Amino acid sequence: MLSEGAVKEINELTGKYANKRSAVMPALFVVQREYGYVNEEGMREIANILGLRPVQVFEVATFYTMYNKKPVGKYHIQVCTNISCSLLGADHIMDFLSQRLGIKVKETTPDKRFTLSAVECLGSCGTAPMMQINDRYHEDLTKEKIEEILKGLK
Amino acid sequence: MATVKINGKEITVEDGTLILDAATSAGFEIPTMCFHARLSKLASCRVCLVEIVGQKKLQPSCVTPVMHGMEVLTESPVVKSARSAMIDLLLANHPLDCPVCDKGGECELQDVTFKFGPRKSPFGEEKRRFHEEDYILSPVIVQNVNRCIQCKRCVRICAETVGAGVLGSIDRGAGTGETSFVKEYLDCDHCGNCIEVCPVGSLMSRSFRYKSRSWDLRGVDTVCTYCGTGCQLTVQARNGEVLRVISKPDKGINNETLCARGRYGYSFIQSHDRLVTPMIRKGGMLEPATWGEALKTIKEGITGVVRNGGKIGGIASSRLSNEELYLFQRLMRVVLKTNHIDSSSRWNSSTVKTFAEVMELRRGGVSVYDALNTDTLLVIGSGISDENPVTDYMIRRLSKNKKMNIIIASPRGMKLDSSAALTLRHRPAAEGEILSGISKVLYDKNADQLNDLSGREQIKNISKESVSSLTGIDWGRIESAADFMSSSKSVTIVVGNDVLRGPSRLEFLNILVGTLRLLGKEVKLFPVFDRANQRGAWEMGVHPAILPGYSFTDGNGLGCEGMLEASSRGEVDVLYVIGEDIVSDFPDGRFVEEALRRVKFLIVQDMFLTETAKMASVVLPGASFVEKDGTFTNQEGRVQRLRRFVPPQGDAKADWEIIAAVGAAVDPSFNYGSVAGIFEEIKEVAPMYREIAFESLDGNGAIVKAAGSSEGTDLKSVPSAASQMPSTSPDPNYPFVLITGNHLYHSGRLSLRTDTLRDILSEAIVEISEEDAKDLRVGKGDKVTVKGERYEAVLTVHVNKRSAKGVVFIPENFTDVRVNMFFTKGEGLPRVRVLPLTGKSHGGGIK
Repeated sequence: MLSEGAVKEINELTGKYANKRSAVMPALFVVQREYGYVNEEGMREIANILGLRPVQVFEVATFYTMYNKKPVGKYHIQVCTNISCSLLGADHIMDFLSQRLGIKVKETTPDKRFTLSAVECLGSCGTAPMMQINDRYHEDLTKEKIEEILKGLK
Repeated sequence: MATVKINGKEITVEDGTLILDAATSAGFEIPTMCFHARLSKLASCRVCLVEIVGQKKLQPSCVTPVMHGMEVLTESPVVKSARSAMIDLLLANHPLDCPVCDKGGECELQDVTFKFGPRKSPFGEEKRRFHEEDYILSPVIVQNVNRCIQCKRCVRICAETVGAGVLGSIDRGAGTGETSFVKEYLDCDHCGNCIEVCPVGSLMSRSFRYKSRSWDLRGVDTVCTYCGTGCQLTVQARNGEVLRVISKPDKGINNETLCARGRYGYSFIQSHDRLVTPMIRKGGMLEPATWGEALKTIKEGITGVVRNGGKIGGIASSRLSNEELYLFQRLMRVVLKTNHIDSSSRWNSSTVKTFAEVMELRRGGVSVYDALNTDTLLVIGSGISDENPVTDYMIRRLSKNKKMNIIIASPRGMKLDSSAALTLRHRPAAEGEILSGISKVLYDKNADQLNDLSGREQIKNISKESVSSLTGIDWGRIESAADFMSSSKSVTIVVGNDVLRGPSRLEFLNILVGTLRLLGKEVKLFPVFDRANQRGAWEMGVHPAILPGYSFTDGNGLGCEGMLEASSRGEVDVLYVIGEDIVSDFPDGRFVEEALRRVKFLIVQDMFLTETAKMASVVLPGASFVEKDGTFTNQEGRVQRLRRFVPPQGDAKADWEIIAAVGAAVDPSFNYGSVAGIFEEIKEVAPMYREIAFESLDGNGAIVKAAGSSEGTDLKSVPSAASQMPSTSPDPNYPFVLITGNHLYHSGRLSLRTDTLRDILSEAIVEISEEDAKDLRVGKGDKVTVKGERYEAVLTVHVNKRSAKGVVFIPENFTDVRVNMFFTKGEGLPRVRVLPLTGKSHGGGIK
C-alpha cells in the first residue's frame, strides 16, 4: 500500500492537468520513490487513483527507461549509450564499469549497492560521454574520473 | 465530392474519403496490416503506402483523405518497393514458424507477404524473442507474442469496442509486444474479439488450438441464437464436428464482433447429454421410444381432449425459428383450438401486450444504426452490457464517433456506464417511475406545449418527492436526464426486457414518448431482448392476445402464468412445452412444480432432459441451431437466416418437423413439408413479412415493415398498471432486493452445457455493490449465504463497483442454485439477506 502521503501527492499532481490521467508519469515517479521501483501493486494503485486501466499504466511504465521495473541497488548507474556518447566511447565506459563492478548491464551487485543500466540520451551530449548516478549527472567521463566517482560513493 | 485519378482511372467520391477506400472502390487492391475499418486509425505498419503525384514522400492511404484533383499511384515501382520493404520490416522479427502456427493458412501476414512482400530479406540479425513457449493468457486465449507485429488491433478492439481495456502495448521500439498487465491471466469479457482481429498467430483460440487447419474446415453463415442482438456468425466444422465459430468483417450488424456466448457457446450441439430419441413415460419412468410410438401416444393423449373441448396450452421458446413458432401457434389455434399460448415463462403476458403496443412494434423494424443515430440515448430496463454484449459494443463504438449523450437507468452497474453522460442507479422495478419523473420535468418546463398530451393529468399530479423516494434517485439527476432530452433533436429510448418481469408502469413510457414528440423531438424506440427470437415469437402470434403480424385479439387466451394457475387447479388436460425449462425459469419454483404435476398430459420437446422434461408424459428430441433451417427476427425486426449445416444428433428432428408431425397426428390435413413453404404462409398471414424473400436473405437480413393497417398505437389504450416495486421501507431482516437476469458468459440454460463457457464460469455467483461488500466485509471469491423467506443458497461473491446499494443480482443460468425458488408468484421481487460464511474465503470455483 502506498503511504497516505504518497496518495495525497498523486492526488495533488492531478490538479496540474486538465485530465487527471495525465498525471500518470509523475505518479509513477512517486511509486518508484515509495517502493524503490515500479511494482505491480503501485501500478494498480495509480490506475485506481487516476481512473485508468492497470494495463495503461503498465504501457507507460514499460515505455520509459526511467522507471525501474525491478529493484535497483543503492546506486543506480545509468550510462548513456546514445549516439553522441557512443561516438565518444560510451562502450568503453560501460565495459570499464562492468568490469570494475563485476556485473553486466541490467544487473545488480550481490551487495545490492550498484545497478548498471544502459539508457537513451540524457540530454547532455555537449559533455559526452556521461552517466547518471541516482539523481546526479557525471560528465566528460574518463576511466580515472569514474574511479574517483566510485570511490566517493559510500 | 472529389474527383481523383487512381492509377490513371478517374473516380468521383465523397469529400473526406480515404485513399484506401477510394482505391478499393476503383478496383485496386492496397494491402493493409494495422488498418481495421471499425477501429481508430493507427497508420503504423506503413504497408498501405501510396504515391501521390507531386508529393515527395509516400503517404499511408488508410489515413490520408482524397483531395479534388489528386492523382494517386498504388502500383508504381517506388510504391511496390516501399511496400515490400515495409513487409520485410514486419517480418524482421517475426519468427516465420508458420508450419506450427495455428494461424497458418488464414494469416494476413502470410497473404500480404505472398502477394506483395519480398522474396529475400537483407536482415540477418537475431530475432527478438519474448518467451520460448506459448502461454495461456485467459480461459480462451493462448498467446505467442513473438509473432506479434504491433498492429495494436487487439488493444484497440478491446478498449474501443468491447470496453474491457485489458490489453496493452508493452515496452518500446522493436521490443514492443501486445499483452496483458504484467502478463497476468485475464479476467475480462472472454469475447475473443482480439483473437478474431489478430492478423497473425499472436493471439490464438484455446479451444481451437491444434484442432484443424483452416482450409480443412467447412462452414456456414448463420445467426447466433443466444440474445436478441442477432449477430451473424460462421460455424465451422471438420468431418461433421463443429470446431469453432468465427465472425466475418462483412457479415451482419455485428461486423466481426461477437461475445463469449456467441463465439464459444456451441459445444452443447455435440453434448453427450443430448436427447437422441423420443421418450414415453411408462410406469412412472421415461423410457426411450420410436417416433411412431411417441406420436401415437400423443395422438391418443390429445385427440379426445380436443373433441371434448378440454383445456390445452402451449409454451414455445423464443429461441425457436419464426417458422417453428408460426407453426406452433397454428397447431394450437387451428388444430387444437386454443388461445392458451405463450413464449416466455418469465414474463407476464399482459405486460408483454402493453410493451408491444408502447414500443410500437407494429410499425415495423428499426435498424440499430438508425436507432443509434441520435443525440440522446436512454437505456432502461436492461443490463445491456451483460444481456446483449454486442449491442453494448455498437453503442460504445458509435458514441465515440459522434456526440451522443447516453443515459443509463439501471439498478446494476454495467460496463457501458463508462460511456454514459449520466447514470441513474434506481431501485429495482422502478423503471416506470423514472420515466414518469423525466416526463414530469419536461412537462413543468413546457406545459403550454403539452395541452394535448394524453396522460397529462397523471403527470401533473406527480410529486418530485414521491418519484425520488420510489426510485431512490435525487431529483436533480432526473432533471439532468430531462435536460439532455430537452437539448436534443432526437431521442432514442432503448428498453430492455426487465420491464416485462413484473407489471411495470409502461404507461409512463408512453407518456414520455408523447411528451417528446409534442416537443418536436424525433423519438425512436428500440427494444432489446435476451432471447434471440423474442420479437419473432410475438410477430408469429405466440402470445395469447397477439395473432401473427400483430393483430391483437381480446380472446380468452391464457399466458404462461395463467396456464400454470389453471394447471395447479387441475384444469389443464394437455400442455405442450417446447424449448423452455419452465420448472427452472418461472419465478416461483415450487408453484410451477406443483402445477405441472397436475397437468394430465405434458409434452416436452427439447434438446436436453431439462427439469421440465423430467416431468413429461412424452419427451420429443429437438434440434440445435445448426441442425435446422429457418429465420429469426432479432430485436431490431431484422429477419435473418438460420442454416442447417449438420444433421441432428441421433433421432432428433428439427422442431418444425416435430410440430408438423404432432399436428398431422391429430389432423392429417396439417401438412407442412418445408421451411420455405411455411415462410410463404407467414408472408400471407403477416404483412410485415410480405416483402422478405426467404431464399435470398443474406448476411444483412431484411427488416420487417409496418403491420399494414394504418391504425397506430392508441396512446390512450395503455392501461395503468400497479407496479410491484418492493416496499420502500426495507425490512431490516431482509435488507436486499434480489434481481435476476443473464450473466455475461451465459444466456438461458444452453450455454452452461458448453465446455468453454463452463470453463470460464460454471458456478452460480451473487453480485453485490461495492458498498455492501465493504459493509459485509466480503470480497470477490468469498462465499456468502443468500437467504430469502423461502429459499437460501451459498454463492460466490462478485463485486460490482457501480451497482446500487441494497441490490443483489443472481444470474438465472446456473443449475447449482435454483434462483426461481426465491420467488413467490404474485409478490414481485423477493427480499433477501446476505450472510458472510464464517471463516475466510474458500476461493470458490471462479477461475
